Amino acid sequence: MRGRARVWVLAGVLAASVVGATGRVGGQEDGPAKAPARPLVLVSKNFEESRLLAEMFAQLIERETTLSVERRFNLAGTQVCLEAVRTGAADLYPEYTGTGLVSILGLPAETDRAKVLATVRREFAAKWDLVWLAPLGFENSFAIALRQETAQRLGVTTLSGLGPRSKELRAGLGLEFVQRPDGYPGLQETYGLDFGEVRALQHALKYQAAGAGEIDALDVYTTDGEIARHGLVVLDDDRRFFPPYEAAPLVRGATLRAHPEIAVALARLAGVLDETRMRRWNLALQEQTATVEEVAEQALAELGLIDAAVRSTESSARDLGLLPYLWQERAELWGHTLEHLALVLVSLLLAAVVGLPLGIGLERHPRFAEPILRAIGLLQTIPSIALLAFMIPLLGIGARPAIAALFLYALLPIVRNAYVGVSEADPVASDSAWALGMTRGQVLREVRLPLAAPTILAGIRTAAVINVGTATLAAFIGAGGLGVPIVSGIQMANATVILSGALPAAGLALIVDGVLAAIERNVRPKGVRA
Amino acid sequence: MGAEAAAALELAGVAKQFGGHAALARTDLAIARGECLVLIGESGSGKSTVLRLLNRLLAPDSGEVRHNGRSIAAVDPVSLRRAIGYVPQDGGLLPHWTVARNVGLVPRLLEWDSSRVEARCAEMLRFVDLDPTAFGRRYPRTLSGGQRQRVAIARALAADPSVVLLDEPFGALDALSRDALRQEFRRWRASLEKTIVLVTHDLTEAFQLGDRVAVLRAGQIEQIATPTELRARPATEYVARLLAVHFAGGVE
Repeated sequence: MRGRARVWVLAGVLAASVVGATGRVGGQEDGPAKAPARPLVLVSKNFEESRLLAEMFAQLIERETTLSVERRFNLAGTQVCLEAVRTGAADLYPEYTGTGLVSILGLPAETDRAKVLATVRREFAAKWDLVWLAPLGFENSFAIALRQETAQRLGVTTLSGLGPRSKELRAGLGLEFVQRPDGYPGLQETYGLDFGEVRALQHALKYQAAGAGEIDALDVYTTDGEIARHGLVVLDDDRRFFPPYEAAPLVRGATLRAHPEIAVALARLAGVLDETRMRRWNLALQEQTATVEEVAEQALAELGLIDAAVRSTESSARDLGLLPYLWQERAELWGHTLEHLALVLVSLLLAAVVGLPLGIGLERHPRFAEPILRAIGLLQTIPSIALLAFMIPLLGIGARPAIAALFLYALLPIVRNAYVGVSEADPVASDSAWALGMTRGQVLREVRLPLAAPTILAGIRTAAVINVGTATLAAFIGAGGLGVPIVSGIQMANATVILSGALPAAGLALIVDGVLAAIERNVRPKGVRA
Repeated sequence: MGAEAAAALELAGVAKQFGGHAALARTDLAIARGECLVLIGESGSGKSTVLRLLNRLLAPDSGEVRHNGRSIAAVDPVSLRRAIGYVPQDGGLLPHWTVARNVGLVPRLLEWDSSRVEARCAEMLRFVDLDPTAFGRRYPRTLSGGQRQRVAIARALAADPSVVLLDEPFGALDALSRDALRQEFRRWRASLEKTIVLVTHDLTEAFQLGDRVAVLRAGQIEQIATPTELRARPATEYVARLLAVHFAGGVE
């Protein structure tokens, strides 16, 4: 009993100090931009261009206003970003009008830019009080591109021109693009495209295939950096088949009303970007010749929006070995480690507070044990990413939904071990204590719980180790933690960056496991064999 | 039945079912003060059910369990059990408690002051031939099976109950320590005035220890008699067969 209490005091102190240190845990959903202490939260999706635009917004706002900015980039896609600004967990992010129309509002595609913009502005304002600021001047739409030599050989620059010649070509098209009515089927209808051979390929692989000369034509996003790298020719959509995907800042109405200076700052970006520049910058990010902060700074300087960028002295991960990189990033990584620990400990603490009484209580009601354990077990089978995604509509983004998901994962081992430990604790000893006149409560407190303590703690230990691993996925919903370097490392295909998150995570798992193992030995009652 | 004539323990028309199966058919049974009654039978015969009815670990479906003529249905089961000694098979000692703490279990539940508990523990350990200074601080798993049973008996007697229930107390011991412990049990019994109900499946033990022996089979008492009477006049074919098998094996 004393050992058990000590564990919880320890965990509580740790959690409290970590939460205090990072100030990240707990929602920031309340009070949109009212309290001056709350920074403006900028989010982005998990690809280069989204991060670049968000970083450009952030730098402009930092330079042109007195607001402080918190960056939470690399959220897992449109759904997460939208929920973030809708619930007030974030204030703004870069979005595309076509995505707003088709993916978010679920309306039919429309080719008139002005109409699309007008529709999304009206609907977003009415539904969620979200404001589309002026588009930035470029589109990241679908397009068909040809290898340079193919384009030269055919002398084709437009999709109308490609139509009659398409039979001669081999095409590599995205898995989705082959199916979507606003993809290949629509092109066949509008331009009479009919490639001699169509291969369905994953997005990144298409460029490799084009580079190797295995395909002649492919579908692209118009600002892909790879277009510049492989010297591809983007054909003009001369009949305006593809819906417009104009990039624009999407901002909470409440935030804009509180800080109209944001609109003034971002207005400087209105209409000044174009596809060629975006490809170049995206390529720089893909090739990791510079960080997103550097590229954003150079871009703003190139546009004349800020003074010429001062090159940062930080080296990118590519130039450095793993250890020097870890050393350079130590402050950042320490912060991520604390966030990670906070996610794990808070969720674990909640799971213990709920799970231990539940598991122990089930001993008296064994009828309910099976169905309850099965229900909790079912939660365990939901893939982590899916569970995190389910949490977003309920809890927004950030630490809250991550902690909720981790809590659910931690519940099963804790409840199951508490139940099994208590109900199977030395049956003869428990029965004789009962027969000699202990009350139910005395049998539980003085016999079953002390004997079950090692089993109960083993459940907590299992849950903790699972959570250290699973918490790396919390980066997808903006909860921070060691998943942040892991996710961005995966996107950059950079092993050093991945390891800068994965190694501390593994270390953390070992330490947490070691500490709990030591406590487990400590709570094992004297006289009971290990 | 007058108060002084009342049996120490009594089952009056008691029946108990488990899941539609009769663990104990309607039974009348009286155990006199100071008597040692041995319940013998195969597993499932109902002998443990009788024991658990006596200290209200089980409640009867019908009939009444009486202590000294009074129904125990009205008595608080927890204080009832504290007044009854209990020794299960293999001791049932709490593995995380020292020997001394195990022996002091019931006195401590009864809130005796600690010096009195301590003195009583030492006294009881000496009674079962264990040196209190050598054994008091040891944990049960460091003891032999025979030592564990001695501690269990010391624990059952610690608060000086007038009734002691033993559920196959020597069942898990090797033959030699079983025999030694039986001898000592007889000696202890003679020095204490206890009403004892002991469950076993061993006829030798039953005949050695019991003032009377009740043979149970499928939830019914086939015969209840002194060992001598039982051997002389088995009342049913089952009892006769049981005796025949036993003495043909030449165990006695």
